[in-house]
Amino acid sequence: MDAKDILGLPKNQLPIPQEKKSRPPKEPQRKPDGISREVYALTGGLAPLMPSIDVSQLKRRPPSDEKITWQWLPFTNSARKDDLQLFHWVRVVNGVPPTGDYAFAKYNKSVDIIKYTDEEYEKYLTDPTWTKEDTDQLFDLCERFDLRFVVIADRFPSSRTVEELKDRYYSVSRALLSARAPPGDIASHPLVKEPYNMSQEVERKRALSMVLSQTKQQERKDAEVVAEAKRITESRMAAKGPEESESPVAANVGPENSQRAAVTGDAVTPSNATLPSAIAASSTLMADNASTLASLRMLRVYLRTYALDQMVQAASASAGLRTIKRVEQTLQELGVNLKPKVPTKAVCAEHLELRKEILTLLNLQKQLQYKEAEGTSFHESPYSETPGTPKRMPRGDQDRPFMPDPLSFGGDRFGKRDQKRKAPARTSEAAQSPSQSKRPRKMKASDI
Amino acid sequence: MYGGDEVSAIVIDLGSHTCKAGYAGEDAPKAVFPSVVGSIDQMEVDDAANTDTNSGAATEAKSNVKTPDSDKNKGKRKLYVGSQALGYRRDHMEVVSPFKDGIVADWDIVDNIWEHAFRECLLIDPTEHPMLLAEPSSNPQQQREKATELMFEKYKVPALFLAKNAVLTSFASGRATSLVVDCGGGSTTVAPVHDGYVLQKGVATSPIGGEFLTDCLLKSLESKGIKIRPRYSFKRKEVRPGEFQSFDVDFPSTTESYRLYSQRVIASDIKDSVCRAPDSPYDESAYANIPMTPYELPDGQTIEIGADRFKIPDVLFNPSLAQTIPGMESFSEFAPSVRGLSQMVIESINKCDVDIRRELFSSILLAGGTASMQQLKERLEKDLLEESPQAARVKVLASGNTTERRFSVWIGGSILASLGSFQQMWFSKTEYEEHGASYVQRKCP
Repeated sequence: MDAKDILGLPKNQLPIPQEKKSRPPKEPQRKPDGISREVYALTGGLAPLMPSIDVSQLKRRPPSDEKITWQWLPFTNSARKDDLQLFHWVRVVNGVPPTGDYAFAKYNKSVDIIKYTDEEYEKYLTDPTWTKEDTDQLFDLCERFDLRFVVIADRFPSSRTVEELKDRYYSVSRALLSARAPPGDIASHPLVKEPYNMSQEVERKRALSMVLSQTKQQERKDAEVVAEAKRITESRMAAKGPEESESPVAANVGPENSQRAAVTGDAVTPSNATLPSAIAASSTLMADNASTLASLRMLRVYLRTYALDQMVQAASASAGLRTIKRVEQTLQELGVNLKPKVPTKAVCAEHLELRKEILTLLNLQKQLQYKEAEGTSFHESPYSETPGTPKRMPRGDQDRPFMPDPLSFGGDRFGKRDQKRKAPARTSEAAQSPSQSKRPRKMKASDI
Repeated sequence: MYGGDEVSAIVIDLGSHTCKAGYAGEDAPKAVFPSVVGSIDQMEVDDAANTDTNSGAATEAKSNVKTPDSDKNKGKRKLYVGSQALGYRRDHMEVVSPFKDGIVADWDIVDNIWEHAFRECLLIDPTEHPMLLAEPSSNPQQQREKATELMFEKYKVPALFLAKNAVLTSFASGRATSLVVDCGGGSTTVAPVHDGYVLQKGVATSPIGGEFLTDCLLKSLESKGIKIRPRYSFKRKEVRPGEFQSFDVDFPSTTESYRLYSQRVIASDIKDSVCRAPDSPYDESAYANIPMTPYELPDGQTIEIGADRFKIPDVLFNPSLAQTIPGMESFSEFAPSVRGLSQMVIESINKCDVDIRRELFSSILLAGGTASMQQLKERLEKDLLEESPQAARVKVLASGNTTERRFSVWIGGSILASLGSFQQMWFSKTEYEEHGASYVQRKCP
């Protein structure tokens, strides 16, 4: 409703272009309300206040007093023996092509091979196994292939091994060096200081090829055979009741022997070597009369007291440490020595029988207590069936008279129970194991 | 490019299946076409009343004049090179290959192929460009000299170099020492490369290549009653919108070799799209019940392929399997000496010096058209792990891109010819004139 309206003139005509100019620079400086600055920046938002790149610098061209063109020009290469001229693109400045040799010519390096004349050959270099032509050819190939002996051996017309070629080359070079130079100077030359040792190289390669020729299948078979041998020797050891010595010497010798056995892969011969290792593997702790015992072991003499120990251990193997302790306690209460003083065969047998019976007695006592506990308590605890004692057959089947299987003995009883009453028996078994853990502690407390 | 210097060299790789040609410095060849040619004996054409005025690259062997007088053109033939020319069916056109048992037997055809590559595909003048030729890893001396002569005398190239396929593949993957397993069209070659040189004593070849596998597939399908009709022998007409029906078109004077060639083209397409290398040695009973894959032939017929998908690639690993395919009994005459792929690799490595065996085991390269078969790399690795020594670490490498695997020889040549430090190694025309063709043995080791 102002004068412009009346006159019919357009409103805001002049300020519009200025507004437009000022608005674009102003608007980007403000961020929209409602979202945080960081989120807006993610969308590409505000431009930095100070531009990081100076735009005016970007399109600046190099000072135009130089005129640069690229031309397709011929070039020569000093590394070539002929005068072949190939073409390539060259950066030409002010019409003057660059001078100087081809840039890549300096990479043409080759090895310095000693050259000999015929007289020198006659004087120093004759060899029964090598003719002059062969030697000449060898040196020619060495030069062409820059002493890559593997390739030279491949291309050599008559088949000679890499070691022979190397040997010939190095011996010729050494002979020539010592012939040409005064003797004092060359003592530090690597060819003279460390001569090529052909036999060592041949040996090394033979060993390497043996290592590399063992395929994985063979390795697996070897490992199987060694494991089989170990098992056999262990069972044999158990039959004899071996003397063990837990000396570090034996322990060291044992793994070494087994290592060697694996490497040679021979099944028969390590049977002697793995015996001590088997012993070391299955040993229990002993006092260290290291050297005497070791020497005795070598002669295959074993002390009998240890045999008893082993049998006792085997007999009570399935019973667990706490039951063993209880058995021993009972023995003490009865006035029997833990180890019989005079370990004759009969005495040992009786001792073992006694241990067995004590074990059975203890088991029965446990069973009785659980039954009583079950009777008094009403709720059945939902224990899942835990395996009572680990099954173990450590020493093989030959030694039944000495080592009756306690598990089958005890298991018979449990099995019978199971036949009669399935569900309750299981829970009794299950309930037994947690209370089994409780009971020994109780007994110990009471003893103390 | 650091270390590089473009001299506009041309790299040509004439393989037994395809020929690849292009400029050095590029990452793929510009000209890729089959290395077989169609040839029509001029005499037969003149006997028939009509002369051919077809499109396509027809190059005449000797004379440019087509006279009705049959005496003048006795023994001459017209060769048609290139996939476009071969794709067009002509009467009495035989399909011939320059190779026999892996080496060149007919230099006339090779000449024509090169001519076609230079003039029609790349459009260059050979006198201005140094040439890098890729040759088989166990090429006899005589072949090399012949190639050198042909290049210098006929095409007058300024410089030449003959490089072995295995070395070029090795360079394409950036290694100087490797074991190259080249599964090509006509044969499979296993060659150890040490420090950029092929160890000739360890090179092993086997005649089982991609074309052999295609033949197996063709015979196997035919024995099952599936008839593959070559493209020229039918016409498809639209009887209703969207529905096609094919009608047989008869061309009585088409040669047997051309028919076989067209069938092989289709069968190799089936092989490329459907076949996979099995994870374990092929067993008839194990694969008896696998689901079939459908494939639609160009004439509209849909076929189902089942156990053949796995049987055919397993021939690479177990060549005696080919004898079980009906129609392939002719293979049995040379079967006993042919070994599977993994045995060839192990044998090749064991023939080399002990010191480099470890390195060869840990860099086994796969190259070639057949190597782009699916699961081939995994199967080879698995087989080699079984039979290789414990102490060596086996690693099979193949570039993920199938194009790169097919052209790895050419790519290696492209890299080599554009290096600055290679420019001193060319065998130039002056050297050829001075020392003769046998000098190539020294210059191109």
